[in-house]
Amino acid sequence: MARVLTIEDDAITAREIVTELRSRGNEVDWVDNGPAGLRQASGGQYDAITLDRMLPGLDGLAVITALRQAGVQTPVLMISALSDVDERVRGLRAGGDDYLTKPFAPDEMAARIEVLLRRQRTPPRETVLHVADLELDLIERNARRGGSALELLPIEFRLLEVLVRNSGQVLTRTMIFEAVWGYHFDPGTNVIDVHIGRLRRKVDPPGATPLIRTVRGSGYRLAEAGLAQTE
Amino acid sequence: MLRLSDHWRSATTRLILIYGAFFVLWSVVLVGVVYWETNRYLSHVVDAIVEQRARYLVGVERPRLPEAMDSTGALDLRGVMSIGLFAADGAYVEGNLDRVPVDLPVDGAIHGLPNGLDRRGRSEREPARGLAMRLPSGEVLVIARDTSVVDQVGVIIRHALLWGLSLTVIPGLVGGLLLSRRPLRRVREIEAAIEPIARGDLGRRLPVSKLGDEVDLLAAIVNRMLGEIERLIGEVKGVCDNIAHDLRTPLTRLRTQLYRLQQDGTGAEGLAPTLERCIAEVDALLDRFRALLRISELEDLRRRGGFASVDLGAILNEVHELYAPLAEDQAIAFRLDAPPPATTIHGDRHLLFEAFSNLVANAIKFTPSGGEVAVRASIERDGPRVDIVDNGPGIPRGERDAVLRRFYRSECGRETPAQGYGLGLSIVSAIVRLHGFRLRIGGNDGGGTRVSVDCWIDAIAAGV
Repeated sequence: MARVLTIEDDAITAREIVTELRSRGNEVDWVDNGPAGLRQASGGQYDAITLDRMLPGLDGLAVITALRQAGVQTPVLMISALSDVDERVRGLRAGGDDYLTKPFAPDEMAARIEVLLRRQRTPPRETVLHVADLELDLIERNARRGGSALELLPIEFRLLEVLVRNSGQVLTRTMIFEAVWGYHFDPGTNVIDVHIGRLRRKVDPPGATPLIRTVRGSGYRLAEAGLAQTE
Repeated sequence: MLRLSDHWRSATTRLILIYGAFFVLWSVVLVGVVYWETNRYLSHVVDAIVEQRARYLVGVERPRLPEAMDSTGALDLRGVMSIGLFAADGAYVEGNLDRVPVDLPVDGAIHGLPNGLDRRGRSEREPARGLAMRLPSGEVLVIARDTSVVDQVGVIIRHALLWGLSLTVIPGLVGGLLLSRRPLRRVREIEAAIEPIARGDLGRRLPVSKLGDEVDLLAAIVNRMLGEIERLIGEVKGVCDNIAHDLRTPLTRLRTQLYRLQQDGTGAEGLAPTLERCIAEVDALLDRFRALLRISELEDLRRRGGFASVDLGAILNEVHELYAPLAEDQAIAFRLDAPPPATTIHGDRHLLFEAFSNLVANAIKFTPSGGEVAVRASIERDGPRVDIVDNGPGIPRGERDAVLRRFYRSECGRETPAQGYGLGLSIVSAIVRLHGFRLRIGGNDGGGTRVSVDCWIDAIAAGV
């Protein structure tokens, strides 16, 4: 169970965030202004923070800047009504780990928080990643499944790497597009679906236990067989 | 109707008046200088003649002096010379002068005699220049010459000035007044043309004559502005109509689903698929709103701060990489003719990627299976150009401008399953406009569409 702090001045949005995160088994605290948020976050007992960009008292950018200066490395998801790319860059530069624009779908928000929590837990220095019988060598840039090498294009490798790094997590199409291509706009859903489809044909050949799962209405998840069963 | 006060305010009239005043002042100065110089020269000539006579007569022996005076007088046909010999006490001795002029000192130097002298047998006194000198015998010799000719020259010059000025300034002023009527009349015409535009008839334009003068330049600028305003207003109106049309369909479907849920009243199991469809409908709606907001954001033109030199080839390669699988799945040949290495353009990498992605996505969407989509980069005289070419159904000539408007959807595309929401091209158009580039939609040889992006600052599009 993870502890999440929600710093959000709008009560309705806050309730949405808190409800969604709690429904996924997290413990969530809510504060509605910047100074209190900064105080509580500085305690350091949280695993992730959702931070509104515009807050009374002390705005989101100032909060995150102060947190990072104080050496608090808790991952932060910035949530903002400002959708401009410049704003996103400013938020991430100040120390935010991810950026989501309002209004947002609660499942997308939760998926992003889970990725941040996951990143927190996994040691980032691994050079070979494993999920079930899938093995990804980040140095050699090659992949094997059940001992046989997979012939992947560079883009497919990058896609698989993102899925493996966040295995067990639901990734929305937007998140996948942002992580693999590095752009922030809507490329149309089926473009990502097609890429996933091709990767799936290579990673999950007929007869093998499928690793890449479609989560209806949300996105994709790479999961070990045991987890996939609960789907 | 033109009022006189309008004439006074007219720029032409004011210019002509100022010019006229300068002209008069300058003519007076010029003629004054000519007059002064002429006067000086003529006086000098008179002085020379008087001096020369005096020298001659002084050299003559006393007994022959009257004779010499006579012969000198005989040479003076016009009667402008006055010579007189007077005794030491001033009594008349000889010559055509009655007495020594009072204002002429006997010093041998030439003096002006503005009051003239008393000449024997003449009543009128003409201004003259002359000298008086004492001879060795003690007598006084006076020689003078009439200067009325100099004054006459002065009069002629003054007359010339007066006539010259009146013949120049009066027709000039009248002409100026007439000239100022034309621009004023045209301003009135423009005023009359603007009236309906101000009332909201944006299709009207200001009259532009064939002269190409300042008024026309101004009218052309205003017309260009009106064109842009008309486009924007039309777009806003179109957006309202189209939002209503376009959003009605998914909203109606959503309502139908919700209504069915209400009617069926099924348990939790039957609920899930219907709810999922509802969420999908709402997501599609939200996507469309997001795209609309994106266009507004782009049209704010505030993002030029993020511009840098970007590698065109790298962007096109990424776009190709992103869409190649989609094209392959639909059995569409997707080809990229990359630009020469290190072809750079000035812009925002993210936005340019978005624009080219949109164009490629559109091309793939409207090209049937077995068709062909190509992205071709070429280097033109002014910079690189990117053509996105497909052999789909193409866009009819009359609709090519309209497809760039928000929410526009080609009539041809309406019945096909892959219908665009018409926002992609508007986003592209906004991005291209933000960069100052130019977007052209044309036909591909042998059917299909060719969309060209000229990646250099287009003077007209950038409003320079």
